[in-house]
Amino acid sequence: MAGILSDAAVQEASEVAPEAPPPVAGLAPPPALGVLLVAWLFAGLLLAFILLPLLQLVATPSLASLRRAAGDTDIASALGLSLIGAALAALLSATIGVPLAYLLARTRFPGRATVAAIADLPLCVPHTVAGIALLMVFGRRGLVGRPAEALFGLQFWGSLAGVVVAMAFVAVPYMVNAARIGFEAVDPRLEKVARTLGMGPWEVLLRITLPLAAHGIATGFALTFARAISEFGAVVILAYYPMTAPVRIYELFLRFGLDDAVAAAVLLLALSLALFVLFRHFVQRVAPMPGIGR
Amino acid sequence: MSARGLALDGVSLRLGSFALRDLRLEIGTGEVLVLLGANGAGKSVCLETIAGFHRPDAGRILIGGRDVTAEPPERRRVGLLLQSFALFPHLSAAENVAVGFRGRNHREARRAAEALLARFGAEHLARRRPQLLSPGEKQRIALARALASRPELFLFDEPFSALDMETRDALRDELAEFLRRSQIPAIFVTHDHTDALVLADQVAIMERGGIVQSGRAAEVFARPAATGIARFLGVENLLDGRLEQAPDGRLRFAVGGAALEVAPLPASAARAGRPAIACIRAGEVRLGRHRAAPPDAGASHLEGRILSQRSLGPLCTVTLDCGFRLVACLMARDARELGLAPGAVVAAQIPSDAVHILPGEALG
Repeated sequence: MAGILSDAAVQEASEVAPEAPPPVAGLAPPPALGVLLVAWLFAGLLLAFILLPLLQLVATPSLASLRRAAGDTDIASALGLSLIGAALAALLSATIGVPLAYLLARTRFPGRATVAAIADLPLCVPHTVAGIALLMVFGRRGLVGRPAEALFGLQFWGSLAGVVVAMAFVAVPYMVNAARIGFEAVDPRLEKVARTLGMGPWEVLLRITLPLAAHGIATGFALTFARAISEFGAVVILAYYPMTAPVRIYELFLRFGLDDAVAAAVLLLALSLALFVLFRHFVQRVAPMPGIGR
Repeated sequence: MSARGLALDGVSLRLGSFALRDLRLEIGTGEVLVLLGANGAGKSVCLETIAGFHRPDAGRILIGGRDVTAEPPERRRVGLLLQSFALFPHLSAAENVAVGFRGRNHREARRAAEALLARFGAEHLARRRPQLLSPGEKQRIALARALASRPELFLFDEPFSALDMETRDALRDELAEFLRRSQIPAIFVTHDHTDALVLADQVAIMERGGIVQSGRAAEVFARPAATGIARFLGVENLLDGRLEQAPDGRLRFAVGGAALEVAPLPASAARAGRPAIACIRAGEVRLGRHRAAPPDAGASHLEGRILSQRSLGPLCTVTLDCGFRLVACLMARDARELGLAPGAVVAAQIPSDAVHILPGEALG
């Protein structure tokens, strides 16, 4: 399950390692023509499988219907809620996920493998199942929901808090795994040297470890955000209202049919893609992989 | 206990199944101690303990006369140089050095770092990222960074182990010069004998968590205290024989029908009839075409048939059968002039003080 990110991430990690051996691919002989042809055939199928539905979707609505959808306050507020919810879910995931990632990368403790597996668990829980499970704990009579309402007046069912909790539940494994890979790529010898140069343990964490793991953490943030903004199943059960964009689109589809849902779907797609590109850019600029020289 | 330098006073430490056992060392100002040992002997753990990453179970560590046993690494004033020099990859060369200038504001630290880089002839590297530096440049930046924190002790943990031989030779010479001038004591961990021969004032040899021999470098290399150490130090000739009393009353070392002259032994070791091991470095054996001189107490004169010979570039090793197997090492040119060839009989001369006796030992 730690395999989600693995290929790209493992390669990143090896690039970070000082004096890493050249990647094996560089030494491999070029594949034979027949192998290339077959590989490209399947690769083409894959690309078509991803792009065809999305392009068809984008090409369908007229400009007028898009403009109408963008002006629809319900759709606009659903998009806004999705944005805010996903951002808060990513922040929450970073807050609770980064310390665990650090522990998993830097310490050995009994049950470590189990802890890592628990952190990955949401990946294999069907999202509606996750939503029902969350409802039982965060609902009005739940283990967390009841005291939260009594003590802080905080309600999860049918609220922004519920949206955030549902999004964070399904997205937090991406944060933990990406950040863990980030921390694992930090050479512990650098931390040792920093100590002998006069830094205390907290200063080493802030000035050496975190900056060097920043690429992994930022990648985790972007993935978590992307996963959160696309979540439907868990959100729809814990917080049908206030409606996030996917829930709104689903409702439009059920009540008015495909044509009305399409315009809103294109808008959500555009927003998600724009943010994805923005985050990638941000990660490269603000937290470039150490070892890739400027 | 010396006021300056480093002293380990009976340091012991248990780490899982590994243990450091009663380490005792003293290094004076400006001295370099090379800590030799096979992989897993505990050299790095010893260094990390001195740096403060492990707390000893017993014993004291004194750096510059201060007892630092209870201090964390950041208060020990040690400069740590690790394999490939471990520069911070997210900081420029100057920023790396500036990290060493603690307790100054950013601008001051930066200016001090640039001044220090200039002293290392590396001011042009100030803005460079470490991954764009050559090994030699990295070493200079790492030394400058360590020096910036005004260390009272340098600790080197195999800094050259990832380098090719040529670079290694160049950096080693540069480092020796730097250490000589800085007068800061240093411990250098390695398993490369050349490092020890070039850098060391003192050598200590570790085996399974303990120091099994220490002393002046030349002394340790010439007089290993046990056969295991002799093997580790690459002594070419370990001869299994016994001490015998000659009619003239002197002790000799009998091996394979020959009797080798030995330097006078301490009374405790000088017991005839005892089995013993003789250590002879190949470079101490002189070869000639004819027996040169009449027998005397200063050297043994033998004859041997050449079994094999091996060229090592500028040097050449020759294995002789003198009734026992004897390896000699000579300059390639001398070997050529002697016209050595397998099967030929040559004379070998071994100075008595080159025969180091380990009494009471036998080869396993």
